[in-house]
Amino acid sequence: MLNIQLNGEARQVDSAQDLASLVQAQGVKQTQVALVLNGELVPRHRWPHIHIQDNDNLELFSAVAGG
Amino acid sequence: MLADKDFIRYSRQILLPECGEAGQQKLMQSRVAVIGVGGLGCQVAQLLAAAGIGELWLFDHDMVELSNLPRQLLFSEADIGQSKARVAADLLSRRYGTAVRALGKLDDASINLLDDIHWVVDCSDNFATRHLLASFCYTQQKTLVSGAIAAFEGLLFLQAASGASSVKSGCYHCLFPKDTESAKRCASQGVLGSAVAAIAALQAQMIQQLILDMPLPSGRLQRFDFRHFRWHEARVPADPHCAVCATRGETDPC
Ligand SMILES: [Zn+2]
Repeated sequence: MLNIQLNGEARQVDSAQDLASLVQAQGVKQTQVALVLNGELVPRHRWPHIHIQDNDNLELFSAVAGG
Repeated sequence: MLADKDFIRYSRQILLPECGEAGQQKLMQSRVAVIGVGGLGCQVAQLLAAAGIGELWLFDHDMVELSNLPRQLLFSEADIGQSKARVAADLLSRRYGTAVRALGKLDDASINLLDDIHWVVDCSDNFATRHLLASFCYTQQKTLVSGAIAAFEGLLFLQAASGASSVKSGCYHCLFPKDTESAKRCASQGVLGSAVAAIAALQAQMIQQLILDMPLPSGRLQRFDFRHFRWHEARVPADPHCAVCATRGETDPC
């Protein structure tokens, strides 16, 4: 298991997990959210190709367009 | 040279060494487009008009509704049913003497009006408009200050007219590509007027600092989580697959 931070909370995740499956596990629609990994935005098409590392800091947030 | 009355009126701005009399003149000679005259747009337009921005162009085709009034502070009950852009333009020109143009919906045709504009503030309420605008600003080299708010999440993003910068940073489409959908909209999610005003104030501050030649980093997302009262900043790198800013030839299908 890996220890990560997700939106400021400590979490344990399976080591094989990629970013796409992590987002899916949160029950949100991929096209409605954005993901920041260790301070850098990760384009959605990269999510299946990036595997979570120990101590990763992730921020998952809604795509907001309101004005 | 500023007129005596203007010197007194804008003295608190002129006192800033970063502004001074020359900076105030820059503000007064600037023409800024505000896209969307809702919660963000009302505040941005008022702050810019009050600061002495020379000319404002307001784009919005909506009419004032009762449910707008808690956060769209340029409107009152008497304005219900009237054009937001028109009401805002009349009020701001009357109160601050600003030259304000009331324009309609921003679409494929009207966007070409922005050819004569250097500074663009995105205060719109949907991704279709945001994508149209960001793509135009990227190709036409306009500086775009994008703000968005829904529920307890506020976003701020600067897409600078690049050119000189050596390190290529991401554009708005690198942040939110074309197929992005809105999970949160004010209409369906709700929002407090003060949260809207906070993001709008930052947009107005950002555009004024840019006009005053105070450089700010492009391609960085500022996100304020109102629920926990915490700032988050993220770098938005240029995405080699971006439909707008990726250089042709660099893009290979994934
Ligand atoms: Zn891009």
